[in-house]
Amino acid sequence: MSAWAARAARSVVLPLTLLVVWEAWGVASGNRRTPTPSRVIGAAIDLVTSGDMIEAIATSLARVFAGFASAALIAIPLGLAMGAFRSIERNVDPLVESFRPIAAIAILPLAILWLGTGTPAAVLIVAYAAFFPIVIHTIAGAKLVNPTLLRAAATMGLGRWKTVRTVIVPSALPSIGVGLRIGMGVAWTAIIAAELAVGAKAGGGGSGGIGQMMFVFYAYSIELNRIVACMIAVGIVALALDRALRLALRYAMPWNAQ
Amino acid sequence: MRYPRRGIAVVAATAIARRFPNVTAYVRTMALFVAFWWALARWTANPALLPSPFAVVEAIIELVADGEIFMHAGISLGRMLLSLGLASLLAIPLGLAMGLRRTLDELVDPVVELLRPISGIAWIPLALFMFGIGNVLPVFIMTYAAFFPILLGTIAGVRSVDRRLIDVARTMGVARRTIVARVVVPAALPALLVAVRLGVASSWTAVVAAELIGAPSGVGYAVEWYRELLMTPQVMAFIATIGVLGYLTDRTLRALAQRFTPWATQLEGVR
Repeated sequence: MSAWAARAARSVVLPLTLLVVWEAWGVASGNRRTPTPSRVIGAAIDLVTSGDMIEAIATSLARVFAGFASAALIAIPLGLAMGAFRSIERNVDPLVESFRPIAAIAILPLAILWLGTGTPAAVLIVAYAAFFPIVIHTIAGAKLVNPTLLRAAATMGLGRWKTVRTVIVPSALPSIGVGLRIGMGVAWTAIIAAELAVGAKAGGGGSGGIGQMMFVFYAYSIELNRIVACMIAVGIVALALDRALRLALRYAMPWNAQ
Repeated sequence: MRYPRRGIAVVAATAIARRFPNVTAYVRTMALFVAFWWALARWTANPALLPSPFAVVEAIIELVADGEIFMHAGISLGRMLLSLGLASLLAIPLGLAMGLRRTLDELVDPVVELLRPISGIAWIPLALFMFGIGNVLPVFIMTYAAFFPILLGTIAGVRSVDRRLIDVARTMGVARRTIVARVVVPAALPALLVAVRLGVASSWTAVVAAELIGAPSGVGYAVEWYRELLMTPQVMAFIATIGVLGYLTDRTLRALAQRFTPWATQLEGVR
């Protein structure tokens, strides 16, 4: 019990020290706008009670889910087909590999050009960002199938599609799950980047989202405490998304308790 | 002359196709893609919205000829190297220490886990205020983005070192420093290089965002600059540059890893 207590003490000592130093430095600097932990908490309470923060996060999350869902809907079937059929992989892989190194944010100017500065451009960026991890992991998962199972399926006279459905898909699922989790993390980063850039480059035209809210706090009303509060919210949402997806995947695939 | 000219070309082409099936598949797919793009560009008939692939090639040639592409690419790559160096200098020693000393790990890990979910990109507005638009901002964002993958990879690498190797060295009376330098680091090196690669990938994404918003130069800036001018072929040329640079840095790091850690078994994970 005391070993546990010592460990717990060790794990809070550095974060607490840093917070105290930060607070002291902020107070000592004498500028009332300098962010300090106490002021950030105040700003966070303001933002949450006024409903701005909740609304911004909801907007961003809705975009992430839309983009993520469309990416998964395309990437999983495509990845399965590429992993299961060598000929499909050979012909589609060049396209995937050519576009994969292009960072999603780099597409943003094109997305703004084609779709404007609203939700569709943001959703496109998210979908593009999430697509590649999902498709790559799906391909890898489909290839990881135990060859004995494939031979057994062939011996029992299963058709190609039935083999995919009953042998390849179940054994690829854990890898697909990993791809989905990575894709979700990338998607959340991408939406922040997209909203920031839209805020920065489109003159703050009210397309909302937490990224844009942060940029507005920087550009129009220099409120650093609110920016830091938003950064923390971004981190919390990132953690929550990952945990939620992990739980959902464990629930969906209990045999893959990892 | 047994074959007419075209016959020789066909024979050569089929020989190449047989030798490199992936190359032919690549050429075929990309040719189809370009043809589709060209048709779509003809159909939309709005070069500012969707220029034809040939206009993009022309833009690339122009940008290469006047050196602009190299200037921006050089700046972005320079920033990446600088921040990769900074991130490695900070993260690798810290990761080695955290991997070796459990107490230190218990002390520092909570801070790491608190900061890690906040992506580098989320720091951009605050960094804009702290550093202004310039060179420091992208370097800061990239260093931050590269730091966490390198740190976590180093810790994992140190943890995965075979305990018996360390015990053997200790039994033979090797000093602690020497154990770290001669046993732990070489054994952890393959994992460490994979971590560096992940760090580069994450900082390359971040640099494009950072330059797009807060830098007066670099490939991310160039993309945005030409979008504002509605010079779409140039926008696409720089997007392609970003992809090519990302690809080349990844390949270079892989080649370096293979060269310097030939003892590494397949640690690559997925590709």
